Amino acid sequence: MNETFALAAKDLRLLLRDKVGFFFTFGFPLVFAIFFGTIFGSEGETSAIAIAVVDEDGTPASEAFLADLSEGPELDPVIYPSREAAIETVRRGSKTAFVILPEGFGKSVESVWRQTDEGGLVFGIDPSRRAEAGLIEGLLTSIAYRRLQDVFQNPDRMVEQVDESLADLKANQGQLGMTGPLLTHFLGELKTFMTELPGSGGDGGFAFQPIPIRRDDVVLERLFPKNAFEVSFPQGAIWAVLGCAAAFGISLVVERTRGTLIRLRTAPIRRHQILLGKALACFATTLAAQLVLLILAVAIFDVRPNSYLLLGAAIVSSAIAFVGIMMFLSVLGKTEQSAGGIGWAVLMVLAMIGGGMIPSFVMPTWMASVSQASPVFWSIRSMEGAIWRGFSATEMLVPCGILIGVGALFFFLGSRLFRWEEA
Amino acid sequence: MLEIRNLKKSFGSTVAVESLDLTLGEGEVLGLLGPNGAGKTTTVSMITGLVHPDSGSVSIRGEGSPSSPSIRRHIGVAPQTLAIYEELTGRENVEFFGRLQGLRGKSLTERARQTLETVGLLDRAKDRAGKYSGGMKRRLNLAIALIHDPPCLILDEPTAGVDPQSRNVILELIESLRRDGRSVLYTTHYMEEAQRICDRVAILDHGRLLAQGTLGELVDGHGGRDRLTVVRPGGDVEQIETDEPLTALETMREKGPLERFQLDRPNLETVFLNLTGRQLRD
Repeated sequence: MNETFALAAKDLRLLLRDKVGFFFTFGFPLVFAIFFGTIFGSEGETSAIAIAVVDEDGTPASEAFLADLSEGPELDPVIYPSREAAIETVRRGSKTAFVILPEGFGKSVESVWRQTDEGGLVFGIDPSRRAEAGLIEGLLTSIAYRRLQDVFQNPDRMVEQVDESLADLKANQGQLGMTGPLLTHFLGELKTFMTELPGSGGDGGFAFQPIPIRRDDVVLERLFPKNAFEVSFPQGAIWAVLGCAAAFGISLVVERTRGTLIRLRTAPIRRHQILLGKALACFATTLAAQLVLLILAVAIFDVRPNSYLLLGAAIVSSAIAFVGIMMFLSVLGKTEQSAGGIGWAVLMVLAMIGGGMIPSFVMPTWMASVSQASPVFWSIRSMEGAIWRGFSATEMLVPCGILIGVGALFFFLGSRLFRWEEA
Repeated sequence: MLEIRNLKKSFGSTVAVESLDLTLGEGEVLGLLGPNGAGKTTTVSMITGLVHPDSGSVSIRGEGSPSSPSIRRHIGVAPQTLAIYEELTGRENVEFFGRLQGLRGKSLTERARQTLETVGLLDRAKDRAGKYSGGMKRRLNLAIALIHDPPCLILDEPTAGVDPQSRNVILELIESLRRDGRSVLYTTHYMEEAQRICDRVAILDHGRLLAQGTLGELVDGHGGRDRLTVVRPGGDVEQIETDEPLTALETMREKGPLERFQLDRPNLETVFLNLTGRQLRD
């Protein structure tokens, strides 16, 4: 066993002397985690949708509508001087959508009892952006309702609205038939009510809301990441693991091409000790790289694992899986170049489909299913399970078991296929 | 120390070594001489347990085959390829392989120091091997073979590609190892080296053992006769082959005055030429 430790210590020393290899094992994953964690927003913020707005109405009502539009975090409206300019900027892709408030908009948006074709809001968006279209349309409707709500809450304005409606009814009496007298009677009674309402002459009206909605803050079991770093650091840890697997996979080929494998084989040690020494060094490095990354994540980037014990199980299982994969990769190439090329090609595919580049929970459904074929998926899943998915020990058995199984299988295959003799 | 019986190895249809019988006695330097592709390295690979022979046997110290790790402890190997870690220092290289040989603690440290001193690298022990010259790397390659003080050394072309100074250091070292009673199997395609340090020489070509014996035995048996060349005044050159060069020279002088003469005695080059019809470096 001493010889195995000596072999592992030698490989660790070689890694420390290789500045590029050391960077890709420890530095790159950290840069990756910080970079993507920062980009995706450490506080969970999302960027507002940029829209072009044209106010052709220019009334207090349209200005109030624009003020409401700017108030929320969802939209980032920019005023444009003309309809043509707004449409052009959307066509070029500078803004996601345009909203036109045409002449008569103010009258239309605050009209309670009349339906008019004039002054309707115009909204345009690229048809491929259906998700944004739905969101923007919902927000515009919500703001329009808010304008109506303001009218209902102000008895004086309500009385004005009723008077205007009564005037309209009088003008169109013949067209309304039986409903005309009924509406005239109802609006008369409503005017009396609004005039005699306590607090009339100010904001003493009643709020109009189709359905009362109460918002309660409920403390839920965490099933979502607290911040973007809780997603990016497990991904960064995966890149550390992949870097180790690639580096050590190549190192076995390097031992052969540089002749040191001959020296090792003529030493009084057994073949399995040589492979175990390499595996031990890879395991230790993989473990260390993940630990360093996750310690930094906790200490600096506010990552708060639900269970440190389960996180430990996750990183050990990941290390086992990729030590096995490293052993298998080492038999795929004859030269350092081919081993490196094949190794990274395989690992990149595993990372791409496994969620190492983009999180699996934002993948399309079919892609998320395919990603389960990659050990990278299970590695990330186990880490996320321990950090923010709230996995129990029993739930962790699945990803950890799969990872250990993958490691054992590929270690066995790799050690069986390893070419000891050169023709 | 080392006994090889009827050793055979083929790679596909190519016969690398064919029915090889060799013995290496204690304190003996046995040269394995042959051109590139003669089967020297394959023979060394079978002796060190790197390659399994198709048939035949290798026995080290009468204890068994080198496929067993405990038997391999009796041999020190310096492969033809520079088998060193260039990122490690000279001392780290030697100590690492010392650990694989079971050395630990102070004995490892002391043994590493002695070995580096023996090959003349003690003053550069803390430098990374990658910064060494070609000759220094060859010496480090040899030091690693010596770290566990083995009774038998297998040196595969240990002077390949080195400068004359380092070559001389290496050859002097092998001569001192012989004086210390170590057995050395030395492969080379340099005739001068074999003549200088080997007690016995085995000549290989195309995987076959053509001849083996002491230098004198080989020259006597396969070298042919001495060649005497005389130059007479005016530039006429005469050349004869003879077993009695002094008598022949006297006869030539009696025929007329000589300006100068040259005697070429047979050597391993001549032996190889006579055995194969080719120069050793063809």
